[in-house]
Amino acid sequence: MLAYIQNIIVLFSINAILALTLNFIMGYAGIFSLAHAIFFGIGAYTAAFVALNYTDSLLLCMLAAMGVSATISMALALPALRVRGEYFVAASLGLQMIGVTIFSEWKSVTGGLGGMVGIPPPVLFGYTFTTTSDFLMLAAAILGGILIVTALLVHGSFGRSLMALRDSESAAQAYGKSVNAVKTLSVAVSAGLAALGGVLYAFYMSFVNVEVFTLDMSILLMAMVIIGGTGTLLGPVVGAAIVMALPAALTYVPYIPASQLGTIQQIIYGSAMVLLMMYRPGGLVGRRKKGGAT
Amino acid sequence: MNMAQANAQTEVKTNQVLLEVRDLNKNFGGLKAITDVNLDLPAGIITTLVGPNGAGKTTLFNMITGHLTPSSGTIHWQGEPLGGVAPWRIARKGIARTFQDLRLFNHMTVEQNIQTVMERSCWLWQSLPSAMAEKLEQVLEETGLAAKRHERAIDLAYAERKFLSLARIMAVDATLWLLDEPASGLDPRSFDRFVALLKEYAHRDVTICIIEHNLDIVIRLSDTVAFLDQGKILAQGSSEDILKDPHLAAIYFGDR
Repeated sequence: MLAYIQNIIVLFSINAILALTLNFIMGYAGIFSLAHAIFFGIGAYTAAFVALNYTDSLLLCMLAAMGVSATISMALALPALRVRGEYFVAASLGLQMIGVTIFSEWKSVTGGLGGMVGIPPPVLFGYTFTTTSDFLMLAAAILGGILIVTALLVHGSFGRSLMALRDSESAAQAYGKSVNAVKTLSVAVSAGLAALGGVLYAFYMSFVNVEVFTLDMSILLMAMVIIGGTGTLLGPVVGAAIVMALPAALTYVPYIPASQLGTIQQIIYGSAMVLLMMYRPGGLVGRRKKGGAT
Repeated sequence: MNMAQANAQTEVKTNQVLLEVRDLNKNFGGLKAITDVNLDLPAGIITTLVGPNGAGKTTLFNMITGHLTPSSGTIHWQGEPLGGVAPWRIARKGIARTFQDLRLFNHMTVEQNIQTVMERSCWLWQSLPSAMAEKLEQVLEETGLAAKRHERAIDLAYAERKFLSLARIMAVDATLWLLDEPASGLDPRSFDRFVALLKEYAHRDVTICIIEHNLDIVIRLSDTVAFLDQGKILAQGSSEDILKDPHLAAIYFGDR
């Protein structure tokens, strides 16, 4: 039972990391990306590749993953700078599709559909992470770190620039904000940090394949952010917890045949999103519709 | 140097043309929004742009701030051409503006709205230097928004939103202010405070260009008035000259 709970917490932390980093661009910069799972994937594949071919040093794997992910995210920033709103959502969807194709077809690097197996446990300062509780510690540390970094960023001048841009791009420009610089930097930060979720995932599972980096994952992450509260610090974490707890909770509900669980889950997500949009557009953690303080 | 010379020099300096618009044209498809506009904005002078809706006043502002690219013609800022320069670079040269529809940062607090325009660069953790923090307090006091500093812009009353729009421009230490209908819709008391603030800042070496329909503000504030209609400057002169011209009045009040 303990191992089961630990496992859930590790997976929750990974999702929370991804939701947090997605919220960074979605909630603060107003960039609605449907390609977030790709940066999760890039992090995981990079870590797996480096660990299998070069070194099992956690630090180096993390740096490599962040670097590769942030660099590739410039490909996302490019359309983000040119188109806005719903057009960007479509552009990011394209990137998501291209990403999945590359993950499943670039066999020499990603192992194709079979994925990469036998990823060695990571080593940090001579300590090897092997057990679930090791990973629990690591996941909590990374999640905590990302929470702190995000909090500092959104409460600092950079966060204000992001929000200014989100609220009125033309006014932000008229007051000396370089839209291109701010957007590019925010996308790079978001993708770089999301890659850490991928690193954690790759080492924890010691196996990666394309299945978890598909559009479904990107949509699920967006649901976590919206349910928890866009543009709030803790909203995505709460959202991740709720979205993850739901399938587990449903298995305890009697009279639902196991084969229908997936369908019922979708119905619940769907209605939750609709109800939230109507009654609490700011999400569970966000402000109420009328004036109220958080 | 004797006094007379010194005075003559300051005189030259205050009348120096900061912004020079020459033969400016803007076409939207077949529509000529601006036709051969020439305009000088001399330092320390309050210029008002008047004219009916659709005369091209806001279009002119948008070209000066780089939000729109002119079809032809030039705009020079202190002798330097502004053609093709990005809006945020133009802003950093000392040209600031307000918008007719305000474009506040709605989901940010009053304080954040002002603070963020003072922080030009977006570097990650930049705390406000103490001089700027003082300026922020001063602006909050002057605009009467100090008590509302933690409220979101979207939750403010109309007049407060107008003052916040003005507070942003007051905070940035710009040389030239372009104000797009800044006082429209204000009640008389707010209006008086508003005009007093503008006058105060005009005395502090700020050059102001205002688009305004309120003739009261035109009379009380302007040093010079330019009358635009259908994309052309029809006349420029003192407010009395312009407002007393029967031809212009006919265009403006609709008896043509």
